[in-house]
Amino acid sequence: MIETSVLVIGGGATGMGTLRDLCMRGIPAILLEQGGLAHGTSSRFHGLLHSGGRYAVSDNESARECIEENRIVRRIARQCVEETEGFFVLMPQDDPDYAEKWIPACAKAGIAIDEIDPAEARRLEPDLAPDARRVFRIPDSCVDGFRLVRHNAMSARRHGGRVFEYHEVTAIRHEGGRVCGATARDKITGETMEIACQCIVNAAGSWSGRVAALAGLDVSVSPDRGTLIVFNHRFTSRVVNRLHPSSDGDIFVPHGSITILGTTSTPASCPDDIEPQPDEVLHLLEIGEPLFPRLREYRILRAFAGTRPLYTPGNAQGRKASRGFHAVDHAGEGLEGMFSIFGGKFTTYRLMAERVTDLVCTHLGVTEPCRTAAEPMVPDPAPDVLEQAARYFPMPDLSLMADRLGDDLPDVLGRARARKENKSTNPLLCECEMVSFAEVEHIARDAGTHSLTDIRLRTRLGMGTCQGTWCALRTLGALADHDIALKKNPPEEIRDFLQERWHGLRPALWGAQAREMAFTRAVYAGSLNIDGALHEQEN
Amino acid sequence: MIGPAYERFRLLGLHEDETLQYCANCKNCDISCPHNVPVSAINMMARAEQCRKKAPCLRDWIVAHGETMAKWLTPLPAALKNFGMDNPLTRKVLDKIGIAEKSPLPLFAPRTFRSLVRRLHQPANAKKVAFFPGCYTNIYNPMTGIDLVRVLNRAGYAVEVPDGFVCCGLPLISNGFLDEASANAEKNMAVIARYRKEGVPVIATCPSCRLMFIQDLREFFPEIVERYGEPDVGDAMRFILDLVETNGIDLPPTREGNIPHHFIYHAPCHLRAQGQGLPSPELLRMLPGVTVDNADAGCCGISGSYGFKSEKYAISQKIGEELFKTIRENAAETVVTECGTCRQQIRHGTGKDCLHPVSVLRRILDRG
Repeated sequence: MIETSVLVIGGGATGMGTLRDLCMRGIPAILLEQGGLAHGTSSRFHGLLHSGGRYAVSDNESARECIEENRIVRRIARQCVEETEGFFVLMPQDDPDYAEKWIPACAKAGIAIDEIDPAEARRLEPDLAPDARRVFRIPDSCVDGFRLVRHNAMSARRHGGRVFEYHEVTAIRHEGGRVCGATARDKITGETMEIACQCIVNAAGSWSGRVAALAGLDVSVSPDRGTLIVFNHRFTSRVVNRLHPSSDGDIFVPHGSITILGTTSTPASCPDDIEPQPDEVLHLLEIGEPLFPRLREYRILRAFAGTRPLYTPGNAQGRKASRGFHAVDHAGEGLEGMFSIFGGKFTTYRLMAERVTDLVCTHLGVTEPCRTAAEPMVPDPAPDVLEQAARYFPMPDLSLMADRLGDDLPDVLGRARARKENKSTNPLLCECEMVSFAEVEHIARDAGTHSLTDIRLRTRLGMGTCQGTWCALRTLGALADHDIALKKNPPEEIRDFLQERWHGLRPALWGAQAREMAFTRAVYAGSLNIDGALHEQEN
Repeated sequence: MIGPAYERFRLLGLHEDETLQYCANCKNCDISCPHNVPVSAINMMARAEQCRKKAPCLRDWIVAHGETMAKWLTPLPAALKNFGMDNPLTRKVLDKIGIAEKSPLPLFAPRTFRSLVRRLHQPANAKKVAFFPGCYTNIYNPMTGIDLVRVLNRAGYAVEVPDGFVCCGLPLISNGFLDEASANAEKNMAVIARYRKEGVPVIATCPSCRLMFIQDLREFFPEIVERYGEPDVGDAMRFILDLVETNGIDLPPTREGNIPHHFIYHAPCHLRAQGQGLPSPELLRMLPGVTVDNADAGCCGISGSYGFKSEKYAISQKIGEELFKTIRENAAETVVTECGTCRQQIRHGTGKDCLHPVSVLRRILDRG
């Protein structure tokens, strides 16, 4: 039995932001996540940190929240954000009058925009459509959703918070109209965990309807499916939006060395409805083409889908449903100590966490103010630390690694230095994302790491252009050499890992990508005979 | 880490990787890539970016500007220039600025190819062909050009060497001077376009110059190519081979008493990168008494100006090691290869004589 004050359900941005906020206000709290961190929607979106421009006309209040939170997140999560700026581009097929509504709406929301000559825009982004009519600069940024969640967790831990991954809540207990605890199942070991608590925050995103149901509540959350395409190159260094009412496939977001095009919006049958389909990919290409005319020449790396947790009282659907959020105290429905946070956008995750934490604090009689907007989530390493460490690593620039590692950085630097001193090497296991053995070793030895996919999520290994063709085998080989075991044996790990990659590859399997896939299959099925190795393991 | 893999991170704003300076632009990566990714062009453009941020050193300026330097030195007699450049003292000074003391610098010819060809009396042939001589032939090895002119005269062609042609730009690009290379491309393309309009073919004896026209310009300066059209510069040896195959040129008959000639042929990287086969050995093997072995032992290591540089000299010799060994062990006394700096490097690495295939062809044709 674990005792705490508040149990947060859902290890996405909102849940983790709530855990951090609670802990920073001195309230004991734990968090349960049914998968790995950010396994839901927080890692399944375009990675755009909205300036609010997209909502300026349709929902000015949301737009204002976006620009304010955009500034805060850029400040507290520097390592997760790439301050690229964005363009809003009016194309010949767009309504020019919309721009006239949009300009004052941005001013009203406090979003700084700056119109530039389309020729200047083309100089900055040479692949942009030559027939763009008007181009506006706007403070859009790119954010690594997975990393933001993990860095929130690091900060929460430093303030005493505890996080349990792969724990699914199976029951919520209450007595006399008050929440008193929950039961969870460890999906790795199958063991049951009992939690006693005074409050529960339901921050399960698309799954929050199910969680509410465990407490006997009926809430209207409709998962809405969004599919996105990943291209293997950074063909734009800025976020590029169409200047028209929000629609499918009108946002391009550079994300490290790749570019993401999104998104579609269709009602999903369930929160796990995340298998992207070829027709969605083709649809996105068609509508993305006006902004980048050479779109079809670029290699598609993969497609992925996520479900938005739209809060839909009154049955509004798709793009008509509000993108706003709602913090709810279920005391009104007869269950004290139960809170939910519904809807919203990734960009405003911190504000959502603040609002629901405010409700919890009122309930608990805590008056401590929210400090999450003021304190950076992970400390920046001193510049000379990285410079000195560079000689232990096989890449010239450690900033990518340092930014993703956050609190894990000192240990990885120590491992790399020790390897150098022992005259062993620290090879690059993943060239596409520049992941060295020392980093993989640190993550693989972490108690929360069970599989190659867990390593991928924390290092980005396997997420680059090779999609696991080289790094999967290399990494398992290196781990085996150092007697670091994952949960499954190496052939099974490889199969699961490649199978997971395959789900994203399949919906865009033509052209260059089909050739790459054939090559990967030849390497693993042919040269390495993975299937045969699996049979051997079974016998 | 360099090439397209690093380009992704460069665009993201990560530190430049200094090892990019060690790419020789030999283009073997282009040859091996199954997806036709222009790896070397990506490297060269990234290097030009590096050079924009941090100006190249004096040494790089010098090796990139062979043509300009030759122009400045024109008033001096070759013997003086060569003594001035190739005496132990100067080589020590050059070594100080980064040109390896042991590296095989080419010597200035007494007269440039351009000045020689102006005085050369060509028969009044009706058919015309324009020749892009390239810096190596013009400054250091005019005989290659003269031999080409004579072979083509024999086939009924008058050879024009347009004054408007300047350096193809490859050494400029390899050393990071992309803007100057663009200005050169503009000049050359204007001339090529003029000949295209007249229906006169343009050919080159240097594989690197030709590769620059048929492949690199499109990567580096697509807007120039768009303006002037594809620069259809032909390979001189392919041009002659086609003439032979259409009976435009008669080869001496095979008969008893043909003097046996044995050559070993090295295919320059920039020729292999063109993907047009190996016309030179094919042509030479048609000549009576001639046997040609293909060395097929990779890159010679010089890669234009690369092997002259102090910090790269040893690497360059190491790259060429296999080729040198193959050539030394071969019975042939003469090596044949199209590329001027390859010949320089092979002489240095093996001590054997090296000729352009057109020179071999002319000697045998003249002998009859």
